[in-house]
Amino acid sequence: MTDLRTRLVAHARTVLRIARWEVSRSAGTLDRRTAVIGLVAVLVAGGIAAGAAGGGVALDRDLYRVGIASDSPYYDAVDQSSTLDPRPVSDPNVELVVSETHISVADTQTGRAAYSAFRDAVQSYNERQMAREENQSAAFPVVVDLQYRERAALVPAGSRVDGGAGGGGGEAGTGDGGGTDAGTGSGTSGDADGAGGTATDGPAASDAAAADDGGVDAPSLGGMASLFGGDTSGSPASISPPFPFASLVLAFAFLVPMNFVIQAYGSSVLNERINRRGELLLVAPISPGDIVAGKTLPYLLGTVAITIAIAAAVGGGVVSVAAVVPIGLLFLASTFVGAMFARSFKELTFVTVTVSVFLTTYTFVPAIFTNVTPIALISPLTLVVRDLAGESIPLGEFLFSVGPILLAAGVLFLLGVGVYREEDMFTQRPVPLKFLDALDSRISRARSVATLSALSIPFVFIAELLAIAVLFVLPVDLTVPMILLAVAVIEELAKSLHVLAAFEKARFSRTLRSSLVLGGLSGLGFFVGEKFTAIAQLAGLQSLTLGQTAFAPSGVGIGDGTGVSALVVLGLFLAPLALHAVTASVTAFGASRGRSAYGVALAGAIAIHLVYNLQVVSALG
Amino acid sequence: MITVENLRKTYGDFPAVVGSDFSVESGEVFGIVGPNGAGKTTTLKMLAGLVEPTGGSASVLGYDPEEPAMRRKLGFLPEESPLYEDMTARSYLRFFADLYDVPRDVADERTGAVLDRLDLEYRDRRLGDMSKGMKRKVAIARSLVNDPDLLIYDEPASGLDPLTTNVVLEFVRELRDEDKTVVFSAHNLFHVESICDRVVIMNRGEIIARGTVPEIRAEHGETTYRVFTTVPLPETLPADDEVGGEGEERHVAVVDEMAAVESLREAAGAAGGRVADIRTDEASLEDIFLRLAREAPTTSEAEGGRGTAAAGDHVAGEREQRVAGGNGQS
Repeated sequence: MTDLRTRLVAHARTVLRIARWEVSRSAGTLDRRTAVIGLVAVLVAGGIAAGAAGGGVALDRDLYRVGIASDSPYYDAVDQSSTLDPRPVSDPNVELVVSETHISVADTQTGRAAYSAFRDAVQSYNERQMAREENQSAAFPVVVDLQYRERAALVPAGSRVDGGAGGGGGEAGTGDGGGTDAGTGSGTSGDADGAGGTATDGPAASDAAAADDGGVDAPSLGGMASLFGGDTSGSPASISPPFPFASLVLAFAFLVPMNFVIQAYGSSVLNERINRRGELLLVAPISPGDIVAGKTLPYLLGTVAITIAIAAAVGGGVVSVAAVVPIGLLFLASTFVGAMFARSFKELTFVTVTVSVFLTTYTFVPAIFTNVTPIALISPLTLVVRDLAGESIPLGEFLFSVGPILLAAGVLFLLGVGVYREEDMFTQRPVPLKFLDALDSRISRARSVATLSALSIPFVFIAELLAIAVLFVLPVDLTVPMILLAVAVIEELAKSLHVLAAFEKARFSRTLRSSLVLGGLSGLGFFVGEKFTAIAQLAGLQSLTLGQTAFAPSGVGIGDGTGVSALVVLGLFLAPLALHAVTASVTAFGASRGRSAYGVALAGAIAIHLVYNLQVVSALG
Repeated sequence: MITVENLRKTYGDFPAVVGSDFSVESGEVFGIVGPNGAGKTTTLKMLAGLVEPTGGSASVLGYDPEEPAMRRKLGFLPEESPLYEDMTARSYLRFFADLYDVPRDVADERTGAVLDRLDLEYRDRRLGDMSKGMKRKVAIARSLVNDPDLLIYDEPASGLDPLTTNVVLEFVRELRDEDKTVVFSAHNLFHVESICDRVVIMNRGEIIARGTVPEIRAEHGETTYRVFTTVPLPETLPADDEVGGEGEERHVAVVDEMAAVESLREAAGAAGGRVADIRTDEASLEDIFLRLAREAPTTSEAEGGRGTAAAGDHVAGEREQRVAGGNGQS
């Protein structure tokens, strides 16, 4: 125990030394241009956050000048509007004058726009006043029930009736909502000034409002009808899309600095490889893991510090920070592996851009659907959005969202450290070969194959979830087969690439027996690993048809076995093991015969897996 | 100190080192010589734990080369010394001293003494602003920051001007006097011949000769005899004036056996002349190396397909260049 503690302390000391050195070196090499770019990045992130926190990005602030007396009943509405600038009535440089009895406006395009903005401002003001009313029943006497309907039941847009849920512009509560996609039932607005439909909230409210524009299925601008007429124009600040826009923008602010941190980090890692600069560190009495940890620590701590600062600025809590930091870690891990594989700074640029685009997409796009579908939980950013909206996050959902990200980051670092050695760092080997080297570096004996298969689960999980997220918008009839194919491809690759690497590096003899042993172990490792992904059920993902498709017994996760005999349950439990072992053995045999044979065997394994998946889905109905 | 048995390293299908066997005793300067691509650097990197052998074994200071404990007693100088150019010499040396748990004051004293001996000033100058020779001296100081028992230097004088080369080689001699064990590689054989206790000659991944320089010379060197006669013989050519004396003609023949010398003596006497002088020429290490490299079996002859065409061409090209350029060491 003491020995272990001594070793841990020694490792920690080494890591801190390298981290300190990395900081001092980076500070010495940071030129002014880079510093300026970094500063601009932080300011941009801060600006976005501040803008969103302030109620939106108001590029049109004080756009129109309004002559209005301070004792006018409209004064507060004008004063609180970001678009309008209240001026004394005597001011000649105004677009609009509001007196006690009438409103004067120039008959110009600017004047009409100012008038429109004034109407919107008054309407928004009224809505806010209504929302503050203690007696909400009095403020909003109409309750609208929302029911989602199947798409197939939609009436073509051209045949829909006018009106719909929520008040149409100036038409005081006439809609019956029949036949619209929102399926809103009988929503009416009884508001005398036409600003009806305010009793709804969330996306449903917006969908309801969408129906008032003659059947266009789009989020409303301004959300409500106008004060004086049927106009849906509004400023960006007044957009009410069917998702928590403000929270989403704030959540995005967390991602911006990461894209800059990985630039510096990737350059630092690649710098060690240029001209063999890092060779002497490899001869020092320290492990590659210590070197990598030491070099990564400052960037990770920087990411954490920035995350905390942004969270403090936008009102995020511990959940936000805890959800964002794993994303930062995955950014760093992906960049590290990319920098270990890249052969030049040109390639590194490609790597960092790819990492930025992919991870930003992976985390941001699902978060858009925060209140729409559980799939959104594949992104930890969804947790941030919900945290910013004041919702509590169950532990299961938190783990579902963050777990794969953390595991993936850990495995990537593990693979990267595996090639942090002279033979891979300073050679110009093609990237695919370096990837195989990275996999091979973790194989020392046959059972390592099983371990690597199990460790591939986070990536399989992420890839399959991403496939679901990308495909779920398509019709189910089309999506299910595609999902099944994607699952087969992803899983067969995950079970076989490291076996190919082992054969390529002559770790095992190229015999049928070796192929069967390695294939069996790979299938077993994958089977064991996927059982841990049953956490998916905690998030309710299996309530989706596509979730059932991807996470059926053939895929990652297990079925619940409800309503079937114990024997069938056992069969369903063990069938995936048989599948994985068989297909992994097929690919292992191909790998033992060379790369071309591996390609053929992989295609065969995918075909077997696909057929199996189709059978299971058919059996499950 | 070092024991190497059947050490092998293969890159893909290319065998960089083929079954090396040698040992290095404590306190000696051991040279590994050979042309570019002979396997010298790969061998040294395997000894330093940087490259994993494909086969065979190596024991360095009683450790497996990949054990961190071994590295604490090792000073390694790669052929190129890519330093962190944004650091000063002082901060660079202190950083590495830190990694070896050497207290700062001890490190400053130790590296300062080395830099004094190597005549390097400007210790607070950025490494990026230093000349190649100055950087090499800093790299050498770094290799000694942990006061190692064993030093592995790969081409320590590579690319340096003659003055700096002499400083570095003299420094290596001094290390031997301090009971440090030094293993170093070179393709400039004059350097090896001047400071090494023992040598192995490598070519195409194989050791083709070994021993002290005199032993190698005795085993593989050709001793030639220049026989000067006062009368022309079928075997002789007219000699330079410098060997003539007292107005006698001088003719010279070059033979490699004493029996041939005796034959010339008899022939000269029969022609009414005599043998006026006999001079012995010993082969240099470079002569021996060139001859061994020429005589070494080709890839296909030796192992039925060892090596790649590209690698073989590279080595052959190097040899031709050396032969064409001459060596001037005979």
